[in-house]
Amino acid sequence: MSFKQFIREMNGNRVEGELIHTFLYSLITGVIIYLAIFMINKDLVREYNLYLFLAILTYSLLTLTLRQVRAYKHFNCMAGMMIGMTAGMIAGFLPGFYVGATNGMFIGGVFGMAIGILFGIWNGKCCGVMGIMEGIMAGFMGGWMGAMTAVMLFNDHLIWATYIVTGVSWVIMFLLNYMIYFEMKESERAYHESHGIGILFSALLTLLTILLIAFGPRSALFG
Amino acid sequence: MKSTMALIFVVIVIALAGFFIYNNSGDVSGDVVNDGDSGDAQKVVIGLKDGNYYPQEIRVKAGQAVEVSLDSSVVGCYRSFNIKQLGVSKYLKTPSDSVIFTPKDKGSYRFACSMGMGTGTLIVE
Repeated sequence: MSFKQFIREMNGNRVEGELIHTFLYSLITGVIIYLAIFMINKDLVREYNLYLFLAILTYSLLTLTLRQVRAYKHFNCMAGMMIGMTAGMIAGFLPGFYVGATNGMFIGGVFGMAIGILFGIWNGKCCGVMGIMEGIMAGFMGGWMGAMTAVMLFNDHLIWATYIVTGVSWVIMFLLNYMIYFEMKESERAYHESHGIGILFSALLTLLTILLIAFGPRSALFG
Repeated sequence: MKSTMALIFVVIVIALAGFFIYNNSGDVSGDVVNDGDSGDAQKVVIGLKDGNYYPQEIRVKAGQAVEVSLDSSVVGCYRSFNIKQLGVSKYLKTPSDSVIFTPKDKGSYRFACSMGMGTGTLIVE
């Protein structure tokens, strides 16, 4: 079974063997940034700790796909479009959902869309313009859908919905890592890099999310 | 560092960060209903005019209970009444339903439906 091979490779010498390290470094980066801001002003984002915690974990998970895609560099069209679409959609939906739940639909939608499109293009370009287009569309849709879902759940079970959509999205992201391995297991790695880009990606997004939640504009619903 | 070791570190970091964040969290629930005693409450009835709540500005006294209800002109998701800064959030299904809360501090508070489409201002004096 290739899934068992994939799990074995997470402890192997291919790029999949570096994924847990990438996740760990990105996670530690996000947590350090959160703690630094918490030390400066502990009331700044206290009310929204849950969303920030989940956002930090999500950004760390997104770096896995980024590392895997950059390592193999070129994919066939079908795999590349799937990568661009999934990465763009999840990278748009979850940040949009978290910021939508704290600041409202406009800023959540714009933020989610921006992150989704950026991440969709970055990953989708592995198969050329089709992947880029797929990434843009998925990021655009995901960002606005995430924010809208959060705002519409405000008077419903928002917290439970947060856990559910986050959990499902994480499973999808993990399965995307498996799909990339499945498609590329016969291929050689094309690009080697340090963990710097993942750490930088995680740091910038965590910082941006905290600043937006603390100082970003809010809809009337949020006072 | 082997991946198994890294995985153990991941679990430890998530557990510690989660514990810290959980212990330092404020109120994150959107389901708060701040009901109180309606005895001497300042009664406020809000309607719908030009696609928005009417009146747009409501003045009440600080430290005294306020009872808000929505008349029959208010429909759909507008019946979900929220003042996030005061922890008020309730679906007022019929005109006889109300939400009661006591604003302690003077100031200006935005009220809105659950999607932020209908808005207005509660001024506590």
